[in-house]
Amino acid sequence: MINLHEWCTYYALDSAKMNVGVAHSEVNPNTRVMNSRGIWLAYLLLTTALHVVLLSIPFLSVPVVWTLTNIIHNLAMYLFLHTVKGTPFETPDQGKARLLTHWEQMDYGVQFTASRKFLTISPIVLYILASFYTKYDTTHFLVNTGSLLSVLLPKLPQFHGVRLFGINKY
Amino acid sequence: MLLIYIFQLKTYQTFAPAYHLILEGILILWIIRLLFSKTYKLQERSDLTEKEKEELIEEWQPEPLVPLVPKDHPSLNYDVVTGPPSHRIIVNGKECINFASFNFLGLLDSERVKLKALSSLKKYGVGTCGPRGFYGTFDVHLELEERLAKFMRTEEAIIYSYGFATIASAIPAYSKRGDIVFVDEAACFSIQKGLQASRSFVKYFKHNDMEDLERLLKEQEIEDQKNPRKARVIRRFIVVEGLYINAADICPLPELVKLKYKYKVRIFLEESMSFGVLGEYGRGVTEHFGVNIDDIDLISANMENALASIGGFCCGRSFVIDHQRLSGQGYCFSASLPPMLASAAIEALNIMEEDPGIFRVLQDKCKHMHKALQGTPGLKTVGEPLTPALHLLLENSTGSRTNDLKLLRAIVDYSLDRQIALTLARYLDKEERFLPPPSIRVVVTVEQTQEEMEKAAQCIREAAVKILK
Repeated sequence: MINLHEWCTYYALDSAKMNVGVAHSEVNPNTRVMNSRGIWLAYLLLTTALHVVLLSIPFLSVPVVWTLTNIIHNLAMYLFLHTVKGTPFETPDQGKARLLTHWEQMDYGVQFTASRKFLTISPIVLYILASFYTKYDTTHFLVNTGSLLSVLLPKLPQFHGVRLFGINKY
Repeated sequence: MLLIYIFQLKTYQTFAPAYHLILEGILILWIIRLLFSKTYKLQERSDLTEKEKEELIEEWQPEPLVPLVPKDHPSLNYDVVTGPPSHRIIVNGKECINFASFNFLGLLDSERVKLKALSSLKKYGVGTCGPRGFYGTFDVHLELEERLAKFMRTEEAIIYSYGFATIASAIPAYSKRGDIVFVDEAACFSIQKGLQASRSFVKYFKHNDMEDLERLLKEQEIEDQKNPRKARVIRRFIVVEGLYINAADICPLPELVKLKYKYKVRIFLEESMSFGVLGEYGRGVTEHFGVNIDDIDLISANMENALASIGGFCCGRSFVIDHQRLSGQGYCFSASLPPMLASAAIEALNIMEEDPGIFRVLQDKCKHMHKALQGTPGLKTVGEPLTPALHLLLENSTGSRTNDLKLLRAIVDYSLDRQIALTLARYLDKEERFLPPPSIRVVVTVEQTQEEMEKAAQCIREAAVKILK
């Protein structure tokens, strides 16, 4: 049985730590947020919490709750990862990431890193679960698939830096 | 969990439409592909092949570590100053009258300033050993900032420990990538470095040519109208000097303020040469023109000229200056000004405030010197009558910069032999964007008498006649 720290050193994953309150030479800390310790678990717990809260609303049926979870999760993901641009703090690189969304900033634009894979696979898993629990109903299917596409397409490497119809460009 | 899911799938098979199963299959294949794909950077690094590497190694010719230079290269023959650069300066062992140092108000040698500095040295020691944020803020720094803000009649001031770094840190604190800066061609080297560090788009307009600047601003306005969403996000600045070091003339500030309000640009004014020189009370070019100081967004100045201290300051509105306390690289990451020099600057400010008559005296002397140097055969005087540091250029250049410099150096040597200390204006030739022509820089200070100025003008005239014939 090895602990996380040893596992990280064995696999040379020194990025699984939070650089909060320490002096670090990271030019843009936004690039390392999704690799920090415990954030994947926090994200999963948050999604579960959203689902449980929706389940506790009495007048919603289970299929509706699952579709709502899927939609709200995808909407939040689209907003935080693909809409909001730049950094909330000043960076020493004179605003290099000012026009980049958080997804484009992750790991300085390197594609198919561990966090990127995780964040691509989790909406797909949520979609498969949602489509199962809605018993493959057509309306639910259309809504869920549309929502999934809206969150999967911006994650493709071909869409890096692409702004369709000039929306959200500046 | 997966087995339960597959089991449930088999039982609910009648409910699942075919297209859905196909879609789920595609998604699962996508997941598997994702899990096995390698990370890669989007911009491919073009690695050289072995053959190309060998070719490059073959082509390379080693250069000597120290390139061969001729014996009379200017950098190998320098003048040695012994003692302080006060009114009488000892150059190469000879005592000369100083017409070369920027000691405009003669405060370098003031007994009051020296006493204050000594007592401060005894109290605080020499250095602060830390930046402003890390135990490097002393009461004298705060006092100097307050005094400067009160003197310049702005809300707040901020001190830097090195004059060159003042404007070079202030510009990148506000102007980032994508922003546009309109600069005069004669801007000094520190402004150029600040612009380079800011990574913004820099547009140069011809020196003091407001029509050229207006043309550039109009072009930018047309661009902005084509793309209003982009225009809303980019910031525009104008950077000018009050009194230019390289060109020795004053910027047309009232027209600049008019352009500022017409085209919505911010003005950064660099007042190193005009602080303590222009204006009725020495407040610089804003007082000289009677422009409201709140119209200028940032005034940056060097304390190394008129104030005879070291370092620099920026002053302006509170919310503008406060930003530099975290974003000014020279403020956050350099050791702060030694308290001895801050006390000396405060005392110099006291002297300036007690006796505002010296500015009038200095301006009169500048006009007198300017008139005395007119009509020198072979040399033309470049600069306004009010400027304390004017340039003497060759009227007819020989064609090569080194030869021009040799001729001017001969004039300087002639003057040094007759106890007049002059200097050539020096630049980093390869680094300057618009290299000014070689010149002799003559500096007028308040301590020079009429006879000394006449003597200097006479000496230069003789040298010009003798050497340039």
